[in-house]
Amino acid sequence: MFKRHGRAVALLAALTLILAACTSSDDGGSSETTAGETETTAAASSGGSVLAAVQDRGKLNCGVNNGVPGFGFVDESGEHVGFDIDYCKAVAAAVLGDADAVEYVDLDAQQRFTALQSGEIDVLIRNTTWTATRDGSEGATFLHTTFYDGQGMMVKADAGIASLDDMANTSVCVQSGTTTELNLASRFDEGGIPYTPLTFAENPQIQEAFIAGQCEGWTSDKSQLAGLRSNWPEDQGGPEALVILDETFSKEPLGPVVRDGDSQWAQIIDWITLATITAEELGIDSSNVGSFGDTESTEIRRLLGLEITGDDGATSVFDPGLGLEPGWVVDVISAVGNYGEIFDRNLGSDTPLGLTRGVNALWTDGGLLYAPPYR
Amino acid sequence: MTETWTAPKATAAEWARRNLFNRWYNSALTVVLGVFLAWLAYKLVVVLFGIDYEIIRRNLLLFMVGEFPRDQIERPFISTILFGLAFGLGAATAAASARHAAAEADLAYAAPTPRMLVRRFWPLLALVAALLAFTRTVMPTVMALSTILGGAALYFGARGMPRSMVRWGWMGTLVLGIAAFAVIIVGVDGGWNAWGGFQINIFLAIAGIVIAFPFGLLLALGRRSSLPVVRYLSVTYIEFIRGVPLITLLLMGVFALGFFLPEALRPGPAIRVLIAIVMFEAAYVAEVVRGGLQAVPKGQLEAGQALGLPAWKTTRLIILPQALRATIPAMVGQFISLYKDTTLVNLVGMFDVLEVALVVNSQSDFIGKRLFFLTLAFAGVLFWVGSYTMSREAQRLEKKLGIGER
Repeated sequence: MFKRHGRAVALLAALTLILAACTSSDDGGSSETTAGETETTAAASSGGSVLAAVQDRGKLNCGVNNGVPGFGFVDESGEHVGFDIDYCKAVAAAVLGDADAVEYVDLDAQQRFTALQSGEIDVLIRNTTWTATRDGSEGATFLHTTFYDGQGMMVKADAGIASLDDMANTSVCVQSGTTTELNLASRFDEGGIPYTPLTFAENPQIQEAFIAGQCEGWTSDKSQLAGLRSNWPEDQGGPEALVILDETFSKEPLGPVVRDGDSQWAQIIDWITLATITAEELGIDSSNVGSFGDTESTEIRRLLGLEITGDDGATSVFDPGLGLEPGWVVDVISAVGNYGEIFDRNLGSDTPLGLTRGVNALWTDGGLLYAPPYR
Repeated sequence: MTETWTAPKATAAEWARRNLFNRWYNSALTVVLGVFLAWLAYKLVVVLFGIDYEIIRRNLLLFMVGEFPRDQIERPFISTILFGLAFGLGAATAAASARHAAAEADLAYAAPTPRMLVRRFWPLLALVAALLAFTRTVMPTVMALSTILGGAALYFGARGMPRSMVRWGWMGTLVLGIAAFAVIIVGVDGGWNAWGGFQINIFLAIAGIVIAFPFGLLLALGRRSSLPVVRYLSVTYIEFIRGVPLITLLLMGVFALGFFLPEALRPGPAIRVLIAIVMFEAAYVAEVVRGGLQAVPKGQLEAGQALGLPAWKTTRLIILPQALRATIPAMVGQFISLYKDTTLVNLVGMFDVLEVALVVNSQSDFIGKRLFFLTLAFAGVLFWVGSYTMSREAQRLEKKLGIGER
């Protein structure tokens, strides 16, 4: 056994070095540290089809966050809940026919890409901002955005701050190691606004600092700021005590991420997102998805995998060749609903976040959600 | 330690006069400090009873067992009762064994009374009472009472066992302990990986130290071996592992193993975490044991050799009993430190009690309610009670065995 330990030691030494390289890459994804990882990644990802692996296993390993209100958290009964979680369920419903066949892996910002590269998770749905560096150097492929977020600034209503330009010589609280921190620096430097950043690891700590008056501004994704504002403690003046400035000073497209090197799996995840959007466009939701048996609309029949009678009278079921069973959209929609339902359930006006659709509305309503045709 | 504090009441006033009011400035200091402490205690009580514990009350199960399937929730309850029984039987067997040893050496043996046990374990009992105050159903109370009363009944009933039964007592303890784990592994949806909350901290601490101990013992002996290959391999292992932070081993085990092993060969995350902890602990236990081995005078070894005992018998019968006895304080310190180190596993995606304390603040009803400190303090109390109890028990054992008095 000592011999074996000796060999293990050598292996461990190698592992430690690799790990040191991996963990040092921060949320911002600096290109120097991540460049070295791509070779290792290529080796790890050459493991055949993810779809087959997931179906063999019978479970989807979904990398998630368990501490972001509305997007991914754990409720009292130990269930994962949230907007991102619903997309994990949608993938499981489409691929395995069972929305509950998901193994949730809680990941920190720092480990999320390592976990993806090493094959520990099949898909990462953890409010991750799509950037070129992450797409290029993290061995990751970013897929269709599920939520368009943007960075904003929250200040106290009585502070006399109406825009970012009023914030000269102020302190700004920000979560450390995020793209938010970098965006803050570039926006204020470009505007020539002198400021002091105060970084904290978690939102609750920022909240204490903000209430204590250590910082005049609190910057984060607007969806998060809205949730914090609408739940502001009454003894601190309630929501009216705070103002979120109009300006959005970054683009934060959040969506699923998969490993490089398996385009079939990437296409599947992409089309699951797109199917929820298309379903909303066509008026299909979880309550009526079973009632389209007699519909005349070929578009709906194609999407739901219903029999289509061709010009020659022969019937067929539309299969786009994604590798999924026909009717997979029915499984997805009956499990989690269409995009609008997922949004309303987790982020909408009846939830603590109380967000409006904004840019996350369908293109027909002036939003950014636009799905290519399913045909 | 209990004897020294049973001073008669009559001298209390005298003691106070001698120590607190012996000079005018000491009297003033006593009054000022006394008022301050009373005010602090009053404030503490006001705060403790004034806090709204809803976040803990509603998430108590999450704190205790994490995401364990709720439709199999009776399993952790049964497991806790089995643990209580295992603990009671183990303590009874240890007591019986100590009694027989004392009788053999013609020494007095004082068996602890129920009152003494309550005094020894009051933080634990107080915590259980506080936790039960948070529960809404009757099941946890039934479980806690069965655990405590069952364990106590087994202890008091079985500690009079005859010498021939001691071996069976240990066997029974082992069986009960294994059964306690089996109940929450075998047949559970997700097996080991379903574990979470405080349960996983306790499990990793216990399993970590129990499994690491034999490895550590072997490594310590290996380090003192006269065979160079064995010696150098042990030294390399110990020094390498001790030079690496635990969190590095955990991160490697959980996230980097996938680069080297195909999925079919990878064990589940909980087992990988356990392996990393055992690897880490073994190196530290080895050094603790080595310290004990070095404390045994060389004459003991020579005496064994002079008696013509083979090397392994000398080690087992003469060296190790003395060495291990000397390591008890350090070993308990190591265990307490591991117990708290288990919170590191939340950094590798395990849903342990610290992670629960952090993330419950993101639940819809508690966003922005500033309950961060409450949930963290609650997790802190859970750990404090365990650490404090262990530390006190170690002190007691130390005194009983006369370590440090040589």
